[in-house]
Amino acid sequence: MLQKVIAFKNTKCECGHQNPVGTVLCENCGRPLDEEELKSKEVLEMRYDGMARRSQRANPNFIDRIWNFFASVKIAVYMIVLTLLGSMLGTIFPQENTFLNIDPSTYYKETYGTWGLIYYKLGLTHTYESWWFILLLVMIGASLVICSLDRVLPLYRALSKQQILKHMQFLTRQRVVYQGKIEGDAEEWVKQAAVPMKKKGYRVHTDGNALLAEKYRFSRWGPYVIHIGLIIFLLAVLARGLPGLKMDQHIAFPEGEIKHIPNTSYYLKNEKFTVEFYTEEDMPGEFRNQGKVLPKLFNTEATLYHCTADCDDPTKEPKLEAVAKHNIQVNDPMDYKGLKAYQFDYDLTPILRSVSPSLVDAKTGKELGKFKLDIKNPQRNYTAGDYSLELKEKYNDFGLDENGRPVTKTPNPNAPAFLFLIKGPNLPASGMQYIYFPKQIDKERFQQDAINEKMNGGTPPLMLDVKGMENVDFAMSTTYLNIRVDKVMPFIWIGAAIVMVGLVLGFYWQHRRIWLRIDDGVLTLGAHTNKNWFGIRREISAILKKMNLDVDEKSLDNGGKQA
Amino acid sequence: MNDLLSISSNMFVVAFFLYCAAFILFAVALMGRRWSNRDPVAHSKKWGKIAFIGSTLGLIFHLIFFVTRWIGGGHIPVSNMYEFMSFLSMMVMVAFTVVYLIYRKTLLGLFAVPISIIIMAYAAVFPQEVQPLIPSLQSYWLKIHVTLAAAGESFFAIGFAAGFMYLIRTVDFKSKEKRARRQQRWVEVVFFSVILVISFIATVFIFRASGYESVFTQTKVTGQPGAEQTVTQTVSYKLPPIVGPYQSKIVSYEPFLGMSKPLFNAPSWMNGVNAGRKFNTIIWSFITGIILYAILRLIARKPLGRAASPVMEGIDPDDLDEISYRAIAIGFPVFTLGALIFAMIWAEIAWGTFWSWDPKEVWALICWLFYSAYLHLRLSRGWQGGKSAWLSVIGFLVVMFTLVGVNLVIAGLHSYAGVD
Repeated sequence: MLQKVIAFKNTKCECGHQNPVGTVLCENCGRPLDEEELKSKEVLEMRYDGMARRSQRANPNFIDRIWNFFASVKIAVYMIVLTLLGSMLGTIFPQENTFLNIDPSTYYKETYGTWGLIYYKLGLTHTYESWWFILLLVMIGASLVICSLDRVLPLYRALSKQQILKHMQFLTRQRVVYQGKIEGDAEEWVKQAAVPMKKKGYRVHTDGNALLAEKYRFSRWGPYVIHIGLIIFLLAVLARGLPGLKMDQHIAFPEGEIKHIPNTSYYLKNEKFTVEFYTEEDMPGEFRNQGKVLPKLFNTEATLYHCTADCDDPTKEPKLEAVAKHNIQVNDPMDYKGLKAYQFDYDLTPILRSVSPSLVDAKTGKELGKFKLDIKNPQRNYTAGDYSLELKEKYNDFGLDENGRPVTKTPNPNAPAFLFLIKGPNLPASGMQYIYFPKQIDKERFQQDAINEKMNGGTPPLMLDVKGMENVDFAMSTTYLNIRVDKVMPFIWIGAAIVMVGLVLGFYWQHRRIWLRIDDGVLTLGAHTNKNWFGIRREISAILKKMNLDVDEKSLDNGGKQA
Repeated sequence: MNDLLSISSNMFVVAFFLYCAAFILFAVALMGRRWSNRDPVAHSKKWGKIAFIGSTLGLIFHLIFFVTRWIGGGHIPVSNMYEFMSFLSMMVMVAFTVVYLIYRKTLLGLFAVPISIIIMAYAAVFPQEVQPLIPSLQSYWLKIHVTLAAAGESFFAIGFAAGFMYLIRTVDFKSKEKRARRQQRWVEVVFFSVILVISFIATVFIFRASGYESVFTQTKVTGQPGAEQTVTQTVSYKLPPIVGPYQSKIVSYEPFLGMSKPLFNAPSWMNGVNAGRKFNTIIWSFITGIILYAILRLIARKPLGRAASPVMEGIDPDDLDEISYRAIAIGFPVFTLGALIFAMIWAEIAWGTFWSWDPKEVWALICWLFYSAYLHLRLSRGWQGGKSAWLSVIGFLVVMFTLVGVNLVIAGLHSYAGVD
């Protein structure tokens, strides 16, 4: 209670104005309120014009204490420095997300030895996703909000109701001060002085023998605009962690194939993939004849389809409608309604798409019929001439298990094999079993002929054979696209744009104020700026020169700290 | 090499020597104040003007270098380390010119011009051929992002120059007091670091001129037992190998001062084929750096900081503090836009994500956080003068690590910037 009484007493200025607790300079006349401070000759602390801030309340309660914590610039700097150090730690070894397919629990130890293992164990292999790093970002966000509110409101109040006539101490204890005799009528002098000030862009307010000139006040809002932008930016970054706002997948698209993009109703077809390399002539002398290749262009001619019907019915072919066409290049992604496709990687290994084998009489070599076999999506039944072929089994990646039975090792079509049951003239009624490897290399590796002999108890009467390369269809290359959706991006850009506006406002303009008063033929001038004291001294010197007062720029400097 | 490109490389040399001349003229303007029969102020003013004309002329030739290389090479010359570093040195001169025109402080030239000279010489260490652009660099964002980032960093360089001058001006080099001694030591460390860079460049050029080369091969076995793969890589040393690559064989060794093999091999944690070579370069830089520093100490007969401090006499430290801060305040928004925001926009277009925590990105963020801390400390906590000057020095070291160190030590997605 006593404390409150004292505080109350101290905040009443001799000009009669009642100031809130924590006020340093009277809101009205600018006189220092503290008695000790009043005796000092030091330059005044002009931050927020000496206004009281919420964080300076006497007897803070629990909420006040939290507020005070986040309102402290000291704490904010600590958080910035901690984030800085944390970020540094994350760059010592590559982060996990640098790699597409690794097992981090073994990778770091194998690649970087013991230090790699320690790095992994400390969780630094995913520094930027770790709880403490995100907590730091959240705390910086809280600090941005509270620091700004704590300061911008008093500052706004101080600047929106300024007194023209200021206390003598307020003027003589500014960082830029001039005192000297003037001749003639005081009021007339003040009027005259307003002219060069207005010319320099100041807004001038006079009150008898006193004057206040001010310009570029908006520059004071710069820091707060920056902070608003940063808050939007940070919120957007944190929102990216929420489910459903982001998609990021890498998909292989073999040339000529329409492929579904998982979790969307879109399909994408790689019409053609091109990779170009610089020729020897394009290369500088040092690189020539060294066998170095430098890529010039990666280009995927892509068509995006939207599924309009039968999308989820596996028995029916989905109905697709082409919605976009684009040449996807490294710096030129496809963008359709926020769904983006980026050129990521490529593979020039040809992939067998389909073969058109002929059914041949093993003895005479006579061609009996031909059919087209799609490797990926074969039909159940084929007819070749008078014969019918029923597909009994399909192996994508043919292999034998420990019992010698054929199995598919992986779902990838590395070594496709097809087991047919062939029926027709001159064959047993139950038909003839025949295994077929479309790739020549597999045919030899897995001994197609031996398997067929074994199944039929001797050389089979018929065989499947591809006559010439015109009957083979390859996808010559595969392109890897990075398919992304990022719904928060607009907010990231808005935040960044606001930050930039704030930076320009705050750094390329300075808020300047000049106060002056004339008492008994003596001019007292004080000036304040938030930045660039050199500039304001030069400007005041020029203004005084117009008033026939020759004052050296440097002599205006009243010492003290420069902000 | 076409005509324009050969003109361009001549312009580079002309600009370099003009900067060197301007540096000497700035030195004359300041040191000559105490020469007999002259008015110190008039002398400083006259020679300062001549020096500034010299540096501006150098900048013009530097610009001609840049433009002719752009036209001759067909793309903006900021795509490899040589081009980027020469561009950075040009931007340092631009930043110097801007700040000089605001404050007209002759002394600034004495510290800012050598920064540009050193960066330019460092650029010349790298291969100078115009390389065609790989697909990821084929974007107009290359122009915007790299140039603006370099512009912002150049103002930080000027902030460093003025901050370091402030320290030389204000640190009490005669005092034996603990605090003063610590400051003296750190000023020496900064001097030594600069000398280290100079001696690195000098060593590279001396051995390049003599055509020195030694070659090693390194055979590495990787993979599981039974399915090992052996990779043999060759590495060519342009400096006499004091340290060879880890587990390597000598292919050829050009004897140097009686050495016919490396004194030792790189330890196992430096197992990359180039790690040994880089380590060797660092050792050489330290050897020549220490020699150069020792020679300078012998000439000066006192610590370099104390030797340099009389040059600063009569300079108002507040002006230096203000210049340092102002340069950083000008550079900060430019850096934010160029090195972060435009980088994010380009990353969004090229890599599909605006931020991928690539080491170079992270270090750009670290720079930004560092200078944000600097600004907060200065504006809200009254860190002016000495503290602020130290921060401006450290800040520039962080910037240089981001530009050079990251590529040398960490690499990542930006590795195509071609540090060798």
